[in-house]
Amino acid sequence: MTSADRVPQPKRHATWLLALSIATPASAGSLNVKVLDDHGQPVAGVAVYAVPADAGTSATAATPQDSPTATMDQAHNAFVPHVLIVQAGTSVLFPNNDVVSHHVYSFSDAKSFEFPLYKGNAHPPLLFEKPGLVVLGCNIHDGMLGYILVVDTPHYAVTDRNGALALESLPAGDYALHVWTPRLKPGDLPADQTVTIATAGDVARVYRLEGKLLPDHDQGSSSLTWQRY
Amino acid sequence: MATVLNRAVLAAVAAALGHVAFADDASDRHQWQVEIDAGYVAADSDLGPWTEGGLGKLRYAESNDGLISARLFAQYRGRISPTLTATVIGDYLDDASSGVDLSEAFIDWRPIPKSSNQQQVRFGAFYPPFSLENTDLGWSSPFTYSYSAINTWLGEEIRPVGAEWSLRRRLGFAGSPHELRVFASAFYGNDPAGTFLFWRGWSLHDRQTRLGDRLPMPPKPTWNYTGAIVGYSEQSVEPIEEIDNEPGAYVGAEWRYAKRVLVQLARYDNRADPTSFAGGLWGWGTAFTHLGVQASLPAQIGLIAQWMSGRTDWIQGAGSDGTISAFAEFVRDEFDSRFLMLTRLVHGSHRVSVRYDEFEMYRDGSAPRTYSDDGHAWTLGYRYERTKQLSGGVEWLEIDSHRDLWSFYSPVLDATERQLRVQVTYRFNAAGR
Repeated sequence: MTSADRVPQPKRHATWLLALSIATPASAGSLNVKVLDDHGQPVAGVAVYAVPADAGTSATAATPQDSPTATMDQAHNAFVPHVLIVQAGTSVLFPNNDVVSHHVYSFSDAKSFEFPLYKGNAHPPLLFEKPGLVVLGCNIHDGMLGYILVVDTPHYAVTDRNGALALESLPAGDYALHVWTPRLKPGDLPADQTVTIATAGDVARVYRLEGKLLPDHDQGSSSLTWQRY
Repeated sequence: MATVLNRAVLAAVAAALGHVAFADDASDRHQWQVEIDAGYVAADSDLGPWTEGGLGKLRYAESNDGLISARLFAQYRGRISPTLTATVIGDYLDDASSGVDLSEAFIDWRPIPKSSNQQQVRFGAFYPPFSLENTDLGWSSPFTYSYSAINTWLGEEIRPVGAEWSLRRRLGFAGSPHELRVFASAFYGNDPAGTFLFWRGWSLHDRQTRLGDRLPMPPKPTWNYTGAIVGYSEQSVEPIEEIDNEPGAYVGAEWRYAKRVLVQLARYDNRADPTSFAGGLWGWGTAFTHLGVQASLPAQIGLIAQWMSGRTDWIQGAGSDGTISAFAEFVRDEFDSRFLMLTRLVHGSHRVSVRYDEFEMYRDGSAPRTYSDDGHAWTLGYRYERTKQLSGGVEWLEIDSHRDLWSFYSPVLDATERQLRVQVTYRFNAAGR
């Protein structure tokens, strides 16, 4: 059990309660999202997050007070998950579960850092305060690539293998719904949508990605060797 | 048989050392990887094996039929700092130029990127990054035991001793599957490169030249003033030597699209002066262009193709004492080779590969074209990886070639050579403080 298993879900719930008591009427709904490609096939690993239209209520109020943690594992020379989405103010652990050392780094504007060669849990959780995209690499293994999307809202999730996700317990109100995946050029990402969560009941949204879905960096034949340097 | 036993003793010692080191694997600051093999070979060739100064394209001849051990080698990798790594590969061989020697030794520096430009610098003796085949430990091939003609030659005569800089960057946005790498190197050594290719011709095998190796070559004719051959003398070459004290260079670019397509284009020039002579060796001015393509095909089939085209400038008839007689002449020989391989990994541990090679070398400007070598080869290989440590396989190789040979040895020489090889390989890793 890592601390990440313990924290995120209950914590988000707790922060939502906090938001609820301060700002919004006692009502909530769920948003079910499904992401499909242009052939109607489900797409996994797509990040979706809902930002309250009335900024200053939920999102601001829900800023984590005592930094929750999330985990970006390293296993079989890959970052797991490939796409991690966290709220600004979250700390992320980078355990290395491989037998070889990794040297994790990022030069992204949202968070620039470096964890020199290590194995296991050698480094304390790292705080991600600034919203934005953090691209992760390993200086030993060129093929390792991972993403942490830091968002300014507690309402987020990543699609599962069925291309589905659910944002539970959204306070009633209007939200701007954002979608992000590394497999689409920024210009091909679906436009933000506005959704209204009523006092009761669920809202469903289906995204059909129209841009050309690019292969993941490690998609291709395993019959060949691709890391040669 | 005696050499097989010698290797068994050496292997046992290496294994014992490895397992001692294994006891302390808390960190991978020091990593050892050792590989030993044993096999059976049956060859069918009328030409003597090149390892004994013959014109054969195979590493083994009928006289070698029976038990073999192709190579005993160890790779040491040590971390000097988080961004600095030392790699040394040493092996023990008992043919052509026997004993223990190093095949590569270099320091690799990878500074932590501050932008999307990722740089890497290597210093030492290393292979240029041309081969798409030799991607396994110790520059071996995970596909077939015998390498393609192109990569066999790279293993025989190309080993830059110098520095290589490379830069890698993802093209476009963060998740872009497009990646570009450019590289450039300045190096010493490799001045006799081309000598072996001319005198012996192309070949397909897995014997990599080590830094101090002296390889036997087919005998060299002696001409009299009428141009008639009056005798032959033994000759050999040390391919990695520096002769004219002028550096050579290579540059290249590589584009990759996810794990679907990779294309590399490179130019290599040893920039050797053909009139330079040192240590009993002449410089051969050798340069080539190299194109490599690798692609994922449907049904999990992998494709690898390489093409090489180049030339070597040298003095035919130059004396082995460094003199250039009146009968000597400056000549240029062109060389060309390409191969296409299809490979498929089945259930993650069985691999089937088939490769077709073509190769030639001919005198520049000759009409009709005079070939010192012209041929093709088929290679069929099966490998089974039982565990990370233990693997085995079988390989069939057939080479057809034709040589005009400038009437050095006979008017023409046509040959078909075949080789069956069965091998079991054991590899183990060790790490220590």
